Amino acid sequence: MVSVRGLYKRYKELPVLLNLSFDIPQGSIFGYIGPNGSGKTTTIKIMTGLIRDFQGDVTIEGRSIRNWGTELSSTIGYLPQQTSLQEWRTVDQSLHTFGRLSGLPEAEVEKRMNEVTEILGISEYRKRKVNKLSGGTLQKVGMAQAMLHRPKLMVLDEPVAGLDPESRVLFKNLFRQLSREGTTIFFSSHILSDIEDIADTIGILGQGRMRYIGSMEELQERVGKSTEVRLETVEPVPNDSLLEQIPGVSGVERVADNRFHIMLQEQKEIDAVIDRTIRALLAEGMHIRGIHPNRQSLESLYLSYTDQGGRV
Amino acid sequence: MSLWLLFKDELNGFYRSKVMLALWVGLPAMALLLYFLVDDIEGIPITTFTGLLVSSIGGLLTSVLIVVNILNEKEKKVYDLFLIRPIRRENLLLAKFSAVFLCVMIASFIAIFLSAVLDSVTNGYDVQQMLSSMKDSLLITVSLMAINCSAGVLIGVFSPSVLVGVLLVLFGSNQLSSLVLLPMITGWGEMWMVGLVSIGISAFLLFGASLLFRLKEL
Repeated sequence: MVSVRGLYKRYKELPVLLNLSFDIPQGSIFGYIGPNGSGKTTTIKIMTGLIRDFQGDVTIEGRSIRNWGTELSSTIGYLPQQTSLQEWRTVDQSLHTFGRLSGLPEAEVEKRMNEVTEILGISEYRKRKVNKLSGGTLQKVGMAQAMLHRPKLMVLDEPVAGLDPESRVLFKNLFRQLSREGTTIFFSSHILSDIEDIADTIGILGQGRMRYIGSMEELQERVGKSTEVRLETVEPVPNDSLLEQIPGVSGVERVADNRFHIMLQEQKEIDAVIDRTIRALLAEGMHIRGIHPNRQSLESLYLSYTDQGGRV
Repeated sequence: MSLWLLFKDELNGFYRSKVMLALWVGLPAMALLLYFLVDDIEGIPITTFTGLLVSSIGGLLTSVLIVVNILNEKEKKVYDLFLIRPIRRENLLLAKFSAVFLCVMIASFIAIFLSAVLDSVTNGYDVQQMLSSMKDSLLITVSLMAINCSAGVLIGVFSPSVLVGVLLVLFGSNQLSSLVLLPMITGWGEMWMVGLVSIGISAFLLFGASLLFRLKEL
């Protein structure tokens, strides 16, 4: 669907993107993460034809964005980081204009406006001027204009930033639904858990380069597997030696009387160590409330991958 | 199609804006008020006086209005959502120019028309004379405004901030617009040449603005 090849962009003397290459398959959800100033918005603006002075190329359905025209622009739906609309317009006026400019016939525009405002829960704001809307509602209007003309590719710059939890869930479900219908979604975010939740593919951008691209599972494989087990028992465990003696355990950290972090000698032994721990505790007549591998979050994976604590 | 749609949209936005509302009412009111307050213009028809006043103040207001509008929208990245759609970039500017120009022109026409009516009633000028006087006043006014408006568009495109934009308008576009009076001042031209000069300068400024807007990364 989208192919980015050798993207290079500098602002005066400051290089922002350095030989950036990646592909986005049709119908997938691509989560694009990176610290502030890493070049996410620049990438997005190049993909949407807003920045035209760059090296390399981006093709969308085989068409280079250097030949920006009607076919390409009607393929793309774009939500900027901050939705800015002409303040004198109402929500309806904004959507109507964008729908018509995107090539929708008059009759179709009204139908689609009804649909998207319904989906996004903003029907009641349609007659309201955009400068009277809250930030979250404005973001939804931005999303509405992006999906109004049923684009095949949606490019969304931090779409869930500033949304309340309810709206965040709404957006995430919407992404999943659009993806199921065949729409390709490329979105950036600082909210790593949002990417972790819904992205099929994750791209980590750092220092103008793609540091990682692949699935969440592949990222975990690459960065490091779980070497820690969390244990919670019903009764207090009298001493740590019971756990320390289990083969494969390298150390035990007591968090509370009945809660422990068990460190493993080798990651591959995790299932065996869990099994031995359960047996050892049951043999002592104790009951287990929970035992599970301590999975790394995307945030810790991301930081350990870039290894610069966010200063990529 | 996109130019017509954008023009209708801009017109819809401008004619109801507070600034335009002030012009619709303010220009005729200001012209009449000044006429009755200032003593030493006795003998000059109200229509001529209004024409001069409107062309001067109206032109300045037009260019300030359009510069502030373009710069604010540029700063807020309003154009991004237009530019990713299948439209010609310059159509955004042409639509804005046309809408503002039309609105201010109608406001000026109302002011001059009211003055002509007043002249006819109070001074007893005959209709033929008044129509002729009104025609010249309107032509000068429209010509000055066209240049002011197109200069405002160009300044709006290249200016880095609202402050710089307004300063450039105050010191630049008004002086530039006075070029239309050259044919009359030098005595080598006819009244119709005022319109011709105005069209030429406006087209040149708009072409420059469009070219810059096409090349510029907003």
